[in-house]
Amino acid sequence: MVRVMVVDDHPIWREGVARDLAERGVDVVATAPDGAAAVRIAPATRPDVVLMDLQLPQLSGAEATARIRAALPDTRVLVLSASAEHGDVLGAVRAGASGYLVKSAGLDELVDAVTRTAAGQAVFSPGLAGLVLGEYRRLEGVGPDEPRLTPRETEVLRLVAKGLTARAIASRLTLSHRTVENHVQNSLRKLQLANRVELTRYAIEQGLDTDD
Amino acid sequence: MIASAARARAHPDLAPLWRGLVVYRVVALAAAVVNLVRAFDAWARPALGVAVLVGMAVWTAVSSWRYLRTGDPATAVVDLGLTALATASTLLVETPERVAAGGAVITTVWSAGPVLALAVALGWRGGLAGAVVTLGVLFGVRRTVDGALLFDAQLLLVAGLAVGLAADTMRRSTERLRAAAAREAATAERERLARDIHDGVLQVLALVRRRGDELPAPELARLAGEQEVALRRLITSSPAPREDGTVDLAARLGGALPARASLAVPAGPVLLPAADADELAAVVREAAANAATHAGADAGLWVLVEDDDTGVTVSVRDDGIGIPEGRLEEAAAQGHLGVAGSIRGRVAALGGTLALHTAPGEGTEWEIHVPRREV
Repeated sequence: MVRVMVVDDHPIWREGVARDLAERGVDVVATAPDGAAAVRIAPATRPDVVLMDLQLPQLSGAEATARIRAALPDTRVLVLSASAEHGDVLGAVRAGASGYLVKSAGLDELVDAVTRTAAGQAVFSPGLAGLVLGEYRRLEGVGPDEPRLTPRETEVLRLVAKGLTARAIASRLTLSHRTVENHVQNSLRKLQLANRVELTRYAIEQGLDTDD
Repeated sequence: MIASAARARAHPDLAPLWRGLVVYRVVALAAAVVNLVRAFDAWARPALGVAVLVGMAVWTAVSSWRYLRTGDPATAVVDLGLTALATASTLLVETPERVAAGGAVITTVWSAGPVLALAVALGWRGGLAGAVVTLGVLFGVRRTVDGALLFDAQLLLVAGLAVGLAADTMRRSTERLRAAAAREAATAERERLARDIHDGVLQVLALVRRRGDELPAPELARLAGEQEVALRRLITSSPAPREDGTVDLAARLGGALPARASLAVPAGPVLLPAADADELAAVVREAAANAATHAGADAGLWVLVEDDDTGVTVSVRDDGIGIPEGRLEEAAAQGHLGVAGSIRGRVAALGGTLALHTAPGEGTEWEIHVPRREV
């Protein structure tokens, strides 16, 4: 059974999602009303998936995502948030979230996304694909050391953003379903890796590294 | 630099008054030169007189530049002090007899400059204060209240108060105009919001209230979800152009698409000249409407906006039945310009290109690329 923690500052929404998931056989092991509480509770309950809202009091969703992923590498974070906060979504993805679902998604979609996230897959909505494509385009202008998408990865992400399912993409590009999934995951992983490198470099520049 | 630029923009409507002051100052400087030259030999220290006039000329240039650029009260106050000194120098340049006989001070009417400057910069109180100080200096030089001083007093007070009141009025009317324009914009925005909310959310709420019991739960959830997206787009769309005349295409499209459409955009704004963004949004709306007509109102609709160095690419895709091969050519041959022709024409007018991918059963996909143009 998939173990889930629901993090959202809105009590009605939080309890509603927890109840819906429980009715569908998901084990909701904890709920948290803010980012700091989520970081505190996560190690004790060790959820497989954290459903993370982004605009949270105390600690932002992106920051909480980064800390939970650092403390619990096997716990995956699925962002469940309103459609408006583009920068925040991107921040959470860079911090290690493995997917993004808008709050207006249906319950079937939510349960499916939780299951896929627990299985280690990336949950990519068209909106997230658009954000990730835009982020790589932005990084192209930043410098040669920034991560790049391969032409094939770009092709796959564009089709995701245009609403094609993984199956349809596989058939259009004559790839296996698995390969399509890998391309999508790689696009996220490169952003997350670059984010970690950047944070480390920043820490060293600031003299915050402890080896020294 | 930034602060002075901001001040310079603070009251651009006072610019005509500042220009008038500068013209007055230059003409008055010429009058002072004529006054000095006319009875050059009668002055006690003509060389010093020339030096004072040169100083006045330099200050006229400097202060004029400052007034036209920033119009700040500080320059006017400095102007008042320097002009008082120049006027007081009459005591050294002129013989006591000629001063006592009521001869003109060396600065002549040039000394009214700071009164006018204070009036423009600070309103009627500034003009009044400037006139009083200038009169005090004149009295200090002449040491007598004669007809000439009273005449000067009348002129300085009238000029300071009249110009000050004019500046106050101009300031107030500009602010009133701005407030009116802001009110009008707010009303227009309110009406736009009301229209959008009425077309979407209120209709759905009315439907739910009327038929909520009969509607199946998934249908209710779908309706609520769509309206949630629509409301979010409504509150995040910023239809007003920025200062440089560009708008965020992503926000424009948010308002132009039906709620069921998926809109994939970069995190940052996609800036285009307002006219181009409007036209592109209209093209996308047309493509979306075409999708609704041919693929059915329930068909999926996805829009992707990409931004790169060469320009902006907008892809519009539906998952409807697609357009059978040859159908578009057939329509064109029959003389129907059709939606493809219309969209193609509008994209061409933007200097862009259009690609259309369609096949039976595969939906229709428009890809519009528009180069970035100057505003």
